Amino acid sequence: MGKVTRRALLAGGGIIGVGALGAGGIAGRNWMRDREPSLPASQDAKGRLLWSNWSGSATSYPAKRAAPKSEDELLSILTRAPAPVRPVGSGHSFTALVPTDGTLLTLDGMAGLVGHDAAKQQATIRGGTRLADLGPALAAIGQEMVNLPDINKQSIAGAIATGTHGTGRGIQAMHGAIVAMRIATPTGEIIECSATQKPEVFNAARVGLGAFGVVTEVTLQNQALTRVAKRVEIRPTEEVFEDWPSLRQRHRNVEFYVLPFTGHSVTITHDVTDKPVKPRGPDSDVETLMGLKQLRDWFEYAPSLRRKFAAEELAKIPPEEVVDEGWKLLSNERPVRFNETEYHLPIEAQIPALREILSAIETHRRDVFFPIEVRVIAPDDAWLSPFYGRESGSIAVHAYYREEHDFFFSIVEPIFRRHGGRPHWGKLHSLKARDLAALYPRWKEAGEVRRALDPEGRMLNDYLKGIFLDD
Amino acid sequence: MRALLLLPAVLLLAGCQPEPSAKPLTPEQSAALKPADARIAGLYEQACKSCHTVPDTGAPLAGDRTQWDTRWAKGEDALLNSTIRGLNGMPAGGQCFSCSPDDYKALIRFMAGRE
Repeated sequence: MGKVTRRALLAGGGIIGVGALGAGGIAGRNWMRDREPSLPASQDAKGRLLWSNWSGSATSYPAKRAAPKSEDELLSILTRAPAPVRPVGSGHSFTALVPTDGTLLTLDGMAGLVGHDAAKQQATIRGGTRLADLGPALAAIGQEMVNLPDINKQSIAGAIATGTHGTGRGIQAMHGAIVAMRIATPTGEIIECSATQKPEVFNAARVGLGAFGVVTEVTLQNQALTRVAKRVEIRPTEEVFEDWPSLRQRHRNVEFYVLPFTGHSVTITHDVTDKPVKPRGPDSDVETLMGLKQLRDWFEYAPSLRRKFAAEELAKIPPEEVVDEGWKLLSNERPVRFNETEYHLPIEAQIPALREILSAIETHRRDVFFPIEVRVIAPDDAWLSPFYGRESGSIAVHAYYREEHDFFFSIVEPIFRRHGGRPHWGKLHSLKARDLAALYPRWKEAGEVRRALDPEGRMLNDYLKGIFLDD
Repeated sequence: MRALLLLPAVLLLAGCQPEPSAKPLTPEQSAALKPADARIAGLYEQACKSCHTVPDTGAPLAGDRTQWDTRWAKGEDALLNSTIRGLNGMPAGGQCFSCSPDDYKALIRFMAGRE
């Protein structure tokens, strides 16, 4: 979210809030929902170890865990290990892409830089490379990725498989930078593909949900290292809504977070600069986030007070700017776990949908305190890319991992769908094959490629059967 | 605000102080440490290090006994259980998808400064 914290956010508010609303019922409600969620056992009856994704929304007990170090080893696993064989990047998807009682496959043993072309600003990297490691590795050869997502813990293979993206007008999601890739398939093949070599595989499997095979290498079109200025500013939400078309034009990367029940938003921009380096300081987003939570705890049933205290204090916070190489600033640490839904809408529908969502949350769900993230992504031509053929405005709604997130489906998703949104593949949604076929013009062709690469469905878990077969 | 958030931690620490000789590590000092066993070191580099050497993640820095001693006092079994199932900001399995329980124990011992 950016360095927007101020302990003054709550100074005084606590005393008044406790005095006015300190009933035991509220305290009890806060205590109940702030407990660690009930967790599955660390091992099942057969002694198999628990696997869980980052947020805890998806779990399983895989019979086998595999960490191949070569393509040969990987092919052996893909063709012979107990199915479903499910690759895991860093477990950051909220949807059940990974759970398996067959084989859990990590590419951690197949990571790192393979080579690079300085003249073309391209680099070939192994699929298991984590984005956090890729930044310094590329910097060492004078390159950087064109963009980065909000967090950088993901593997490159996992990030592209789910359509992971950053923000910026004219900047594609991460898979938009792929010029070639190698895929190991459950039929025992290694396929090299690009826009000109086996283009149907390249187009279908670039955003492949880990269902077309395992991406072992990608060649990325990077750019020269650039220094950027990151500016974080708190502004009235209505003003940001009005300014959003202009903001998208003015800045290389721009996003904003709506802070529900405050009337304010946080804008974050990145622009190329030659200013001297001014490194980012210690993270303060957690403090801000927990401040918003505390406001919710105290004023859940007094929204006007919640808005008043938040607005007064947020308005006092001056803009902040840091300067550094882009790979050091674009991603953030997110130590507070959460669940998330995100849809990508036609850009013209973004603000109208956002207004509806904000209104619905502020009317029906006063327990929500997590910011709503708003970004822009350029179109691309990967068949299963949520950005296929259209500039997209994304809206992401979050919920603290200890608290329920049923409102994603009951309140938020219907608005997304009414506005023609396509879900982020890694974030919570309820769509099945039939719904998706109507949203993706090349859905059928992509399905044909998937069946050719995995005719026995060895990579399909129950969730993916619902995505690909339930039509 | 920060003072409020830290209060429970202060209370906890009051009951279980780290050894007087323990000194806080800088992130750079923490990042320079590495498990002695090559395979465990590989798992650590791939999974744990990206959080446990970065203060902003909220994870206790590897090797910093001032951050680990109160945790270590809970016992290895409790730490192993928290690692496998996740706790607070720590995701289940700690991003290591090929780790066995013994691997986790070795990683915990290293990070807690007990290798």
